[in-house]
Amino acid sequence: MKRPPMLMHVKIRGERRGFGLWLPLFLVLPLALALFIIMLPLLLIAIPVFWPRGWRKRALHIFGAAFEIFNSMRGLKIAVQGDHHYIYIFLPYKR
Amino acid sequence: MDENKKRVLEMLAQNKISTDEAYRLLSALESEDSTSEGTAKSGTAARIKSKYLRVCIMPGPEHEHDGKGDRVNVRVPMSLIRAGMKFTSLLPPEARDKVNGALHEKGIDFDMRNLNPEDMDEFLEALSALEVDVAGSDGETVKVFVE
Repeated sequence: MKRPPMLMHVKIRGERRGFGLWLPLFLVLPLALALFIIMLPLLLIAIPVFWPRGWRKRALHIFGAAFEIFNSMRGLKIAVQGDHHYIYIFLPYKR
Repeated sequence: MDENKKRVLEMLAQNKISTDEAYRLLSALESEDSTSEGTAKSGTAARIKSKYLRVCIMPGPEHEHDGKGDRVNVRVPMSLIRAGMKFTSLLPPEARDKVNGALHEKGIDFDMRNLNPEDMDEFLEALSALEVDVAGSDGETVKVFVE
C-alpha cells in the first residue's frame, strides 16, 4: 500500500512579500478520520436514499478512490511564475 | 565523471541549454548507462521507470534571463494519473454522458464507458513515448514529456 504524503511545501511570493510553508499533512489524516466518523451517520442515511439510483457502489468506493488519489500525490510539483508572482507546491516523495 | 555528462554540464554552464534540457539529457544518459550494463528490463519494469509527466512552459529568449514572462513547471506522478483515471469509473452515468457529449462537440469521438483498466495500462505505457514540443511565435516553448 502506498504511503500518504507526509509534508507539503508551499511557497507564494508576490511583488513585495512572500512566504514559504512546510505543511504537516500527517496531521490532516487524524483530522480527516475524525471528520469521517462525525459524518458517518449522514453517510449511513445517504446510502439507503441513493441505493435505488445505483449510487451504492459509488458511495462506497468514493472514499477509497479519494484516499488513493491523496496517497498518489507524493512527488507532485507545481511551479508557476508570472511577472509579479511565484507559486510553488511540492509534495516530497522521500520523507 | 562520464565524458558525455561532463559535456552536458559544460553546455549548461555556457547557457547553451536550459536546466530542463540538461536534466533530460542527464536522465537519458543515465538510462542508457543502465541499459548498457545489461539489466534486462521487462515491459512492466520499463513502465515503472517512467514516473512523472512533466509540463514545462518557458518564455521566449528575450525573457530567458530577466525573470519576466510566465513560466510553468509541473511534475505529475504517473501513479496520480493512474488513480485519477480509476476515479473516472466512479463518475455517474449522467456525468459521463455529459463529458462524452462535450468531447463529441469538440470533434473527439471518444466514449468514456469504454475505458477499462487494461486500456488505462496500455495508455499509460504509451505515454512513456510521448514528447510534445511546441514553440510559439513569441519564442515561448511548451514541452510535455514523461521522465
